[in-house]
Amino acid sequence: MPHFFSNKRLIILLVSIIILVALIGFSMKKRESLTLPEQFLKDSAGLTQTIFYKPANTIAGFFENLAEMKQLYKENQMLKARLDEYAKLYVQFEEVKKTNETLKAQLDKKEDLTDFKVREATVIGRSPDQWNQFIYINKGEKDGIKPKMAVISPQGFIGKVTNVSLFQSTVQLISDNDRANRFSAIVQGEKNIFGTIEGYDPKRQALLFKKIEVDAKIKKGQKVITSGLGDVFPPNLLIGEVIEIEPDEVGLTQTAYLKPSANLYDLNHVMVLEREMPAVNESLKEKEEE
Amino acid sequence: MKKILLPFLIYLGFISESSLVQAFLPHQNSMEWQIIPHFSMVMILFVAMYLNTTYGLIYGLGFGLLTDLLYTDIIGVYLFSMAATAYVTSIFSRYLFGNLIVTLLLSIVGVTILEFFVYGLNSLIGISNQMIDLFLYKRLVPTLIINGLFAILIYYPFVKQLNQLKDTLKEN
Repeated sequence: MPHFFSNKRLIILLVSIIILVALIGFSMKKRESLTLPEQFLKDSAGLTQTIFYKPANTIAGFFENLAEMKQLYKENQMLKARLDEYAKLYVQFEEVKKTNETLKAQLDKKEDLTDFKVREATVIGRSPDQWNQFIYINKGEKDGIKPKMAVISPQGFIGKVTNVSLFQSTVQLISDNDRANRFSAIVQGEKNIFGTIEGYDPKRQALLFKKIEVDAKIKKGQKVITSGLGDVFPPNLLIGEVIEIEPDEVGLTQTAYLKPSANLYDLNHVMVLEREMPAVNESLKEKEEE
Repeated sequence: MKKILLPFLIYLGFISESSLVQAFLPHQNSMEWQIIPHFSMVMILFVAMYLNTTYGLIYGLGFGLLTDLLYTDIIGVYLFSMAATAYVTSIFSRYLFGNLIVTLLLSIVGVTILEFFVYGLNSLIGISNQMIDLFLYKRLVPTLIINGLFAILIYYPFVKQLNQLKDTLKEN
């Protein structure tokens, strides 16, 4: 290779590295909305993805059925045992619901922070390189989806909507390692223990639950839910279960490892939640803008 | 083959990556492997090897930008990596005779270069925190096998089409 690094090529290489760094720097800061060409690209790609995902899912579903048949008997027995438990819980639930309703009526409280509107969506694709944990859903601005809405699967909390185009939107899963992908959560128990979810450990296949107070006592198997603080996500969405606890590197806080309750690798139908009651901050902001 | 059909074919490969990962991820995760299809990259490598360097570079830039915009959050990582990979591979292919084995080898080398580029850049930015040993065993090896299989699968039909296209380009 005699002219592999001639002067001209070296200059082109250097210039392209500078452009690369500039582009990365530009796109690393968080943008609220997409530019028009980006929206157009995402919509047209979303359209082709919708055509593709059905045959792909059918083929994958066939293999899944084969694997499931082996475990059917075992699962059936386990479910039967659970059924008795369910009847007992249901009676309890009805009772608690009734008392709650009467108490609310007494207080004359109509809106609740926990009320939300549910929109169902189908997953049409996923980011193929698994560095970025994004899924794409077939509902967009047209259906009333806005950025920062919480997304859940039937098993639990899975992530938030990051950007929206007209017919499809992108959901960032909680296992994404982005620095901005953090939110507060609490350990369910007698006393609420606060912390923040910060990324994913691929080796243990667990979420990192950081910044817990040193003297907080957490047991394995305790459930972790969203706190509802920060006015973004609704509270009481199940995130996962504690599987391991260890002190931080400096020893000032603790870190817990969570097994996510939703299977983040097997998502087909998801639900997008919108808080019914407007958050306090937003109404304040609107006033300021006026 | 008409000239306009080529980007359309690569686009099909590009979209199928996302659908395949979404449909087959539950199964591969039980094996703890990360299989990443780079079908559009393999096809661009074929273009760079059998058509010419300029086409490879342009398609690398185009589909790199598309990958960045649609599948990731950061613009620039795939744009740079895919174009550079296409360029380097086409330089290699000038000194080698084009048959199935050589093409397969070059595709595997190309996908390896791409994976290392993206892994390095993402580690730099802080998107990936995977250790290098996990990356090599659980991600790189299965990924190379799948993309190698894809390269063998499309070799005969795709190269035939590319050679036809090259002849029509020469005539003009």
